[in-house]
Amino acid sequence: MSHSVLVCDDAIFMRTMISDILSQAGYEVVGEAETGLQAVAKYKELKPDLVTMDIVMPDMGGIDAVREIVAHDPDACILMCSAMGQQALVVEAIQAGAKDFVVKPFQPSRVLEAVQRVLG
Amino acid sequence: MDLSQYAELFLAESREHLGTINQQLLEWERVPESGEPVGGIFRAVHTIKGMAATMGYADVTDLAHRMENLLDILRSGEHEATDQVFELLFQAADALDKVVESSVSGRELDADTSDVLARLDATCQALVPTAKPRPPPVPRSVDPPQAAGKWVRVVIDPSATLKGARAAVVLRRLEQIGQVNTVQPPATVFETEDFDGEFGLRIETSADDEVIEEQIRAAGDIAEVYVGNGAGDRLVERPEARTRHIRVDLRRVDAMMNLVGELVTTKDRLAQLSAGRGDPTLDDVSLKMSHLTTQLQSEILDARMTPVWQVFDRFPRLVRDLSKQLGKVIEFKVEGKEIELDRAILDEIADPLVHLLRNAVDHGIEPAAERVAAGKPPSGHIVLSAVRERATVAIQVSDDGRGIDRAKLLADAKRTGMLDEDVDVLSDELLLRVLSRPGFSTAAAVSNVSGRGVGIDAVASSLRTLGGGLEVLSVPGQGTVFSLRLPITLAIVRALTAEVGEERYLLPVTHVAETVDLSEETTTSLEGEDAMLFRGEMIPLLDLRKVVQLPGEGHGRRPVVVLQIGERRSGLVVDALTGQQEIVVKTFDAPRGTLPIFSGATVLGDGSPALILDTGGLV
Repeated sequence: MSHSVLVCDDAIFMRTMISDILSQAGYEVVGEAETGLQAVAKYKELKPDLVTMDIVMPDMGGIDAVREIVAHDPDACILMCSAMGQQALVVEAIQAGAKDFVVKPFQPSRVLEAVQRVLG
Repeated sequence: MDLSQYAELFLAESREHLGTINQQLLEWERVPESGEPVGGIFRAVHTIKGMAATMGYADVTDLAHRMENLLDILRSGEHEATDQVFELLFQAADALDKVVESSVSGRELDADTSDVLARLDATCQALVPTAKPRPPPVPRSVDPPQAAGKWVRVVIDPSATLKGARAAVVLRRLEQIGQVNTVQPPATVFETEDFDGEFGLRIETSADDEVIEEQIRAAGDIAEVYVGNGAGDRLVERPEARTRHIRVDLRRVDAMMNLVGELVTTKDRLAQLSAGRGDPTLDDVSLKMSHLTTQLQSEILDARMTPVWQVFDRFPRLVRDLSKQLGKVIEFKVEGKEIELDRAILDEIADPLVHLLRNAVDHGIEPAAERVAAGKPPSGHIVLSAVRERATVAIQVSDDGRGIDRAKLLADAKRTGMLDEDVDVLSDELLLRVLSRPGFSTAAAVSNVSGRGVGIDAVASSLRTLGGGLEVLSVPGQGTVFSLRLPITLAIVRALTAEVGEERYLLPVTHVAETVDLSEETTTSLEGEDAMLFRGEMIPLLDLRKVVQLPGEGHGRRPVVVLQIGERRSGLVVDALTGQQEIVVKTFDAPRGTLPIFSGATVLGDGSPALILDTGGLV
């Protein structure tokens, strides 16, 4: 059975791109969220195997969303999507419970490697 | 083992770390809630401690250790660093500097550090009453304290982005298989962009070494992993793992430069000799020799180039101390730290810059109340910047203070007879002339910060010696800018060969704007002196024959070399110009009675010596 994924990003462009990369590799994108609040709600509803999480989003940022999700499910597999230069934020997200991160601009191979590391 | 051979290395490296300590302290003081500087300071102090312990310098080890105790408490972030704490840390850094120097030189320590030691301990006690200060380590023991668990050292792939975040992933993965202690550098450093990707830690776990390594590699982007019981921290603290450096005494580089100078001369002679022979094999060798010499020369020149931060980095502390002493609030910015200059020039400009910065703090920036009254922000700004401009580097010291009081300066200059009574405006050019007059003082009251007056004469004359120039721009109420223009290197310059009579002189091109022919139509006289119309402007003319006191008159169409420093120009008339070449400048001990117009000497291609004219001084 393929792994289910929840894609969280406030930009449609990024959500589309991540969804395409993942579905072409055989993962099943079961939902999308464009705010941190939505991400938490959809996680509880869909219980996906993997979450990709943007750091900067309106209505609760990605890091707070990680905290909420991990509080709800300590085993949650969350992959942060970060831009260059967000070192401190990514470190904070990982300390909050995210498992790994990928850096924009995305290279499909790097994204898939990170996904495999997180799920593996 | 004889350690004395390492003393110089210890000193050089300690000085670098002391520089870091001061710099990071300033940064930290500016933004006390920032956690990054304290990590950097801690590491620098820690490194000095480790080196000093190896060398057996007990005083250094002891002081560094007590500083480390305090820093360790502060970097936990639970206690705020107060003004008193910063003051104490600055004093401790000064004391550390002193004990380092005195330990290496073997001199008696002239300052008493016991007060600083006592206050460091007292401050630790006050912050964390329950914590027992760790006893200082016994000198000569370099091994890390043997705590439980295994040492792990990790190097992140140098090409990876966000290495700190990757390190955080490694930490998290390891926390799942054991207890992680003593992360070096501290995990706070992971959040900074200057984390280089190398770190170490101790882990208490029942897992095998292979499992630990597997767990780390699974984090991705890992270049190297070391797991073992050894003193892994020493490996981690090894700086510059990728670029390898050796320290070379500057005198060695100078000696090499001199030898290359001889080689250049010899090469030129070889070229001249082979040109007359018509022997293709000899021509070939000569050409090859020429290429190699040029390469060697440029390699050595490069090796002498030093980024200006090596001198600039101590200025923030200087400005801070001075402004505290004078009760002024000053924001100091340094720009262009990475610009490179010949080491010899850099060493020479340190004192002039200290001079200009002191002036800016003391005379330039007004007290806060005066600034507010003038509608300016209460805190003053001073900027020290370096910019590369073709073959020169411009260094500027600018302040947004009150500007130079021209009216007062004009009156003073007239009173002392330096200027005629009928001069009623002090242009920037005249201003500089008045300021650079030896002993001229603008200070109404002598302060102990910048001493007696401005002393710009000292600054101007050191720049002249270097073949550079000084400019000043001052706007009343808005501030003052001093610009230092410097050649990038002293060792080799391009120069024009000028002839008068039988004599040859060299004119470095640093200040040469262009060369023109002297013609009757453009020459006139200005206030009784020879002058020439050049691009719609009258510039004074000097005859090189007169300058070098050669009897006789020049004949025929004589060329004029137009010299320029900033906005000032003058023309130098010579008998003939016979070419342009790279010359190796030799330091020049002028015999008594030599005219003060030469900046050095060189040996020409045919082996004959020639003097180099101080063109800056002729303008």
